[in-house]
Amino acid sequence: MNRLWWTQIKGVLRLELKKTLLAKRGLWIYFLAASPVLIFIAFTFAMSAHRSRMEDLSRHSDKQLTYSDLQAVQPGMTKEEVIAMLGKPSIRWQYTENRPIGPHTTENLLHEHLSYSDGQDDLQLDLSDGKVDSINIQTGDNRGQDSVMFAGIFQFFFLRLVVFFGCLGIFMNLFRGEVLDHSLHFYFLAPVRREVVMVGKFIAGLLATCIIFVTSEILQTAAFLWHFSPGVRELYLYQNHGLTQAFQYVGITMLACVGYGALFLVAGMLFRNPIPPAAMVLIWEAINPFLPSVLKQISVIYYLKALCPVNVPSSQGTPALLALLVSTSEPISAPLAVLGLLTVSLLAVCISGIQVRRMEINYTTE
Amino acid sequence: MSDRILFEDVSKFYGEILGVNRVNLSIPPGITSLVGPNGSGKTTLMNLMTGLVKPSRGRVEVLGIRTDDPENLFQVVGYATQFDAFPKGLTGFQFVYSYLCLSGRDQASAERLAAQAIHRAGMTEAADRSIASYSKGMRQRIRLAQALAHDPRVLVLDEPLNGLDPLARSEMIAIFRAAAAQGCYVIISSHILHEVDVISDQVVLLSNGYVVAEGQIQTVRNEIQEHPTQILIRCDRPRELAARMFGSSDTIEVSIHKDGRGLLLKTRDADRFYLAMNELALNGIEIESLAPADDDVLSVYEYLIGSEEAVR
Repeated sequence: MNRLWWTQIKGVLRLELKKTLLAKRGLWIYFLAASPVLIFIAFTFAMSAHRSRMEDLSRHSDKQLTYSDLQAVQPGMTKEEVIAMLGKPSIRWQYTENRPIGPHTTENLLHEHLSYSDGQDDLQLDLSDGKVDSINIQTGDNRGQDSVMFAGIFQFFFLRLVVFFGCLGIFMNLFRGEVLDHSLHFYFLAPVRREVVMVGKFIAGLLATCIIFVTSEILQTAAFLWHFSPGVRELYLYQNHGLTQAFQYVGITMLACVGYGALFLVAGMLFRNPIPPAAMVLIWEAINPFLPSVLKQISVIYYLKALCPVNVPSSQGTPALLALLVSTSEPISAPLAVLGLLTVSLLAVCISGIQVRRMEINYTTE
Repeated sequence: MSDRILFEDVSKFYGEILGVNRVNLSIPPGITSLVGPNGSGKTTLMNLMTGLVKPSRGRVEVLGIRTDDPENLFQVVGYATQFDAFPKGLTGFQFVYSYLCLSGRDQASAERLAAQAIHRAGMTEAADRSIASYSKGMRQRIRLAQALAHDPRVLVLDEPLNGLDPLARSEMIAIFRAAAAQGCYVIISSHILHEVDVISDQVVLLSNGYVVAEGQIQTVRNEIQEHPTQILIRCDRPRELAARMFGSSDTIEVSIHKDGRGLLLKTRDADRFYLAMNELALNGIEIESLAPADDDVLSVYEYLIGSEEAVR
């Protein structure tokens, strides 16, 4: 890239960044980017409420319990044995089941539920006929489970919907928006190669989406970590690769902006109406797991998923037939995934370069 | 490197709609006006010479530069379009300055050139106001400032006098004339025929996508054989002059002016008429003035295309 081109790209950036970041019609993208943050803030509030309930339960118990006390309860123990060991439960409720035992005879069976807490962890006991039937301990420190939840929201909501539609809104409008505004000729009348204008606009789109979605990603991480106690937070960040994962998520977000940005840049030049290409890409990305290996590689989500630090297990409720259709392919390494994604993006940018040279200013047909 | 703006057998179709067809032009320096009614192809010709649209057939070159090479083309071309839209949120100064920055100029030089161009277009006082608050005439002027900013050799101006008050019009015309006097190519489209007549060195008359005539207006007029030339003569003895003129086989019609101090004559051969006038003047008739009455754009346009209504 020569110096003149770089000066010209800076000129395009100055105009485009202001327009992209401060446009009223782009306000919905900020709301979209804020939505996962709101989910994590809501989650944090729910967890805080749960913790204060646990602490409340602990305060109202007869005994000061520890986690090992909670673990000591065994199936088959009687209610009296449990109470002798843990004291009176903080919460207790019961109901009687009228169970048939013969053609015309029934018996009454007493079901009881007891709740204990050590202030952080939660023990839920179900007793039938005065004996412990089921034991459920919910630990306050759910780092593993929570990080899977974070990964799930990141992969299935943030990447596939938030970043996807955000990039659609920003990159499709880089050229299409100006054609609709009848102002694209401003660039085409300057002594600058059209490919340079295209690259300038693409970089502006990338900067705007990265600023918006990386900020969203950082805020999500902050909101997610907020509900952990300081000790657990430190443990998660520095000993459970939490910090590394946070950086990985930021990197993946930026790569998602590159990938989807390039796709929607070219779509904005090839299509007048953004809905058909958006629907096409959305469907293509959604059916990615069912595609043969070769076709999988012509998508953005394939590479992004390969880069995600936490694997989200498939839902237990996936229908067997659907599960059969899921094609398995060799997992790819992170460098290959980055290279693959950048290659797909570069291809899209090159097509945009060819297309921008062919563009004509003919607003009356729009 | 060619010193002309060349159209070689150029056609442009928008789908099935004809823009221009089989245009061959060689435009020299000076002020050239493209004249024609709406839809005649004026803007298409301008867009073709600036690469905003591509020819369906043929070749366009501006001073030897291909129109699909904007990096070099717009070093020599400045185009003030008719599109009344601007990048959002800019002031007049920022609009011209941003254009110069896109050209690759450094900040200091872009600021200096922008200020100069804005001054030339008479927009200095409004330069720091948002374009959104400008009147139509001001938007016209700021577009002109943008086109002038990099001091181009070719100035393409689509309806540049639209929306301007009479004073502003005369200022703009002075700018065009000054540019033409410096050897620039000033291409203007207009449907205000009397203004075109006053400022043009040559005209290109368009109708339905075809070039129906081109060149200096007098030359074009002389080539229209089927319409006799009309000449207005102011003299002391118009009746005597009229009687003498009827003696010429080229004279078709003579009518005495209402004030009785002149006559309007229609002749098939203007050159022969002027020779005859020399003899008459020597024979005692005092000729105050002689002026062609129909070698203006309006008359030529009416002869070639139809009534002036078509131009509006």
